[in-house]
Amino acid sequence: MKKQTYGAQAFSIVEGGKLLVAPTSAKDVVAVEGSVLGGSNHLPKRWDVIPSLSAELLDAGTNKKKKGVIRGALADRGISLSFSAGGDRTFFSGQCLPEDLPFLLSTIAECLGGAHFPEAEVKAAKARALGSIAELKTDTNMQARIALSRILYDTAHPNFSRTLEEEETSIRSSTRRNLLDFRHKFCRDGLVLAVTGDVNAGTVRKAAEKAFGKLPAKGFAPLAKQLNKKPSASAEKLIPIPDKANVDVLLGAALPLHKSDPLFYPAYLLAEMLGGGFASHLMMTIRERDGLTYGVYATLRGFDGATDGYLRIWATFSPEKYTESVAALRKEVRTFFSTSITEKALLKKKEEITGSYLVGLSTARGLARILHQFTIDGRDLAFLAEYPDYIRAVSLAHVRAAAKLVPLHKLSFAASGTFPKI
Amino acid sequence: MARRFATRVTVSGTTFVRELDGILEYRLNTNGLQILLTQDPNAPVAGFMVTYHVGSRNEAIGYTGATHLLEHLMFKGSKNFNKENKKTIWEILETKGALVNATTWNDRTNYFEVMPKEHLGTAITLEADRMRHAHIREEDRQSEMTVVRNEFERGENNPMEALDKQIWALAYEAHPYHHSTIGWRSDIEKVPIARLKQFYDDFYWPDNATVSIVGGFDVKEALAMIVKEFGKHSKKKGDYLAMYTEEPNQEGERRATVARAGNTDLVGIAHKVPAAVHSDIPALIILALILADGKTSRLYRTLVDSALAIDVSTNCYQFHDPSLLITYATLASRTPHQKIEELVKDAYRAIALKGVSSTELNRAKRSIRTYIASLRDGPYAFLSALNEQIAAGDWTRFVTFPKKLVQVSAKDVQRVARQYLIDDQSTVGWFKALPQI
Repeated sequence: MKKQTYGAQAFSIVEGGKLLVAPTSAKDVVAVEGSVLGGSNHLPKRWDVIPSLSAELLDAGTNKKKKGVIRGALADRGISLSFSAGGDRTFFSGQCLPEDLPFLLSTIAECLGGAHFPEAEVKAAKARALGSIAELKTDTNMQARIALSRILYDTAHPNFSRTLEEEETSIRSSTRRNLLDFRHKFCRDGLVLAVTGDVNAGTVRKAAEKAFGKLPAKGFAPLAKQLNKKPSASAEKLIPIPDKANVDVLLGAALPLHKSDPLFYPAYLLAEMLGGGFASHLMMTIRERDGLTYGVYATLRGFDGATDGYLRIWATFSPEKYTESVAALRKEVRTFFSTSITEKALLKKKEEITGSYLVGLSTARGLARILHQFTIDGRDLAFLAEYPDYIRAVSLAHVRAAAKLVPLHKLSFAASGTFPKI
Repeated sequence: MARRFATRVTVSGTTFVRELDGILEYRLNTNGLQILLTQDPNAPVAGFMVTYHVGSRNEAIGYTGATHLLEHLMFKGSKNFNKENKKTIWEILETKGALVNATTWNDRTNYFEVMPKEHLGTAITLEADRMRHAHIREEDRQSEMTVVRNEFERGENNPMEALDKQIWALAYEAHPYHHSTIGWRSDIEKVPIARLKQFYDDFYWPDNATVSIVGGFDVKEALAMIVKEFGKHSKKKGDYLAMYTEEPNQEGERRATVARAGNTDLVGIAHKVPAAVHSDIPALIILALILADGKTSRLYRTLVDSALAIDVSTNCYQFHDPSLLITYATLASRTPHQKIEELVKDAYRAIALKGVSSTELNRAKRSIRTYIASLRDGPYAFLSALNEQIAAGDWTRFVTFPKKLVQVSAKDVQRVARQYLIDDQSTVGWFKALPQI
């Protein structure tokens, strides 16, 4: 039987780039998701703010056009376009009407290949970034996330976060030259572009070839695999912040696992069984049975490119029930690992994930995101059809093997908020 | 969702009302349930939504947040779908891959499932069952109250949400838009189960609801299923409680301050605007886009490009009753609140005095054309947007409103700026960060 690939086609373009095109029934909707190599993991830790400053200013003027011309032309066509920075890549995401796709793609390529970061724009972007950092200092979720990453990882690891104060220092000392040096290494080798919606594959291919062919052939290269050097330890960190009505709590453990590892999908299913969706173990116990939280979630995080990631359990608790809630969370995590990894629970989760995958593909935006993600994960187009089979093929033995990677008695803990006086 | 197929059919027990741009409207003969169907036969996914015409505008002191708390209790089981028979919504739908949830807002409450289409029948059966046979029990209220309270607490952690509550509370002194959908903390904690049950019995009836289906399904089969399952219920006996409170005229600017430990400074400026179905709303929507939609908008260039603010947004709400047009700005470090307030008001005055350019008008219209196209991309976006028009009082606005936006002129924008963005009708809020102790 022919496998369903949702009308998607894959093309090699511009010597090193990959283009995925999927026409859908959406009228007047074109979704673009893409990325080039180049992110914070390509730079020394002290410069990890450069990619995000660069992403903010890619449309703020190029060698050929001023900011007002670029942004005005996009606005004239009703195009939305944003850039963002990750660990290994700089991403772009856009939406336009069908007739404007060639213009959108040429604008993206021009920004990636020619952004020149005017001094005044750099100064303003730094001021905004410092303002955002100030906000994050009292963000309970962000503070707990930073603390957990610092507990779990060695200081050189991509998943080790610097403090917000260190980030402030980096922002202040960033220069236009830093941004230009970073941007100059964007290249077409490693480019991934997914375009879906009211499109024709031939037209998209022609427009993409024309736009991105002007990028340099070589620049940033894929990064080598990394492994955390810090041993597991049941460390704890509390970050008190006054005047907060809610406490953010994180439990986690670094996993000796990459996305390409055979145990990745079993570990993903494990996390989903523990805390993915309302029917998961933690939601059914901590929220549904005990009423202790609005939400408790388990996810795999930090698996960017070649990076080994971690299991993260996140819950929010009322300060007045904090101690009781944390004890219940720890207990239910243990209970899950000892009694709830069963054939029946796995079968249910596999059915849920394969069904929700279909739902996720039902929009142009969802399809573009999945095509882009699979491609940067090193999968070919056939994987779009094969993914449900990969999930169905995961056995209970696989999931139990993945569970053994979690140092259950050495889970680390971070929490931030206004804690009760004990 | 491009090619919508208006395959009008006749199904016993229903009456065809009209067809508009591929959306078929029917009524269930026995109880008045409104049915909206939009078919895309090739889609492998279907979305189902029940919109109840009740929201936090139907609450009063003592049971603010009741609509939302009741929405949570609706997931605790019903006569034929419950924990005891192991047929909870999570077991029979989420574990099949369905996106299952519910949302509550000022004018409506909705329950929805987006799922592989073979499960549509299950969703219809379950929603029909809990429409009149939900378990509304004290033991569930006790455990769910703390869940909702934590949702409230999460919101309180967010400075923007805290300021927004204060602005609405000050802008509305009589009308129930005064309180936020989640309600006041003490009401969340203490509302009796009898009041929630009463709320359910007052509003959860077929003649106070609309069911919508979008995506891959057979119209005849779906209608037959709706007749079978929702046709079991009678219409409500007696009248619905009318929400008749009107907001008195505002006589002068109002000001609020929220001061808390932290590093975030915000300014919010709200002005009264008419109800969603009013003829001035299209021009007000275009006005809001010209003010703060995207990097070429007036306020973005004035506040964010200059690094006086980190971000800015302007939103013209479209509610059943007169509501607000609000601008929020998050201040950069050391920017005084007063400066941002003056610059926003200057931008308002500039439009009122000098109008907007044709370039600005065309950009706003192009932006909204792209946005409106995206509302038909997939079942959830479609259902969600249609649901807001149902709540506003007229689902056909989903089709007709884009045409009205196209007709807005520069003069219309200037006129509504003059008419509505006046200081006497404003409510200004400052969130002030206090030094951390």
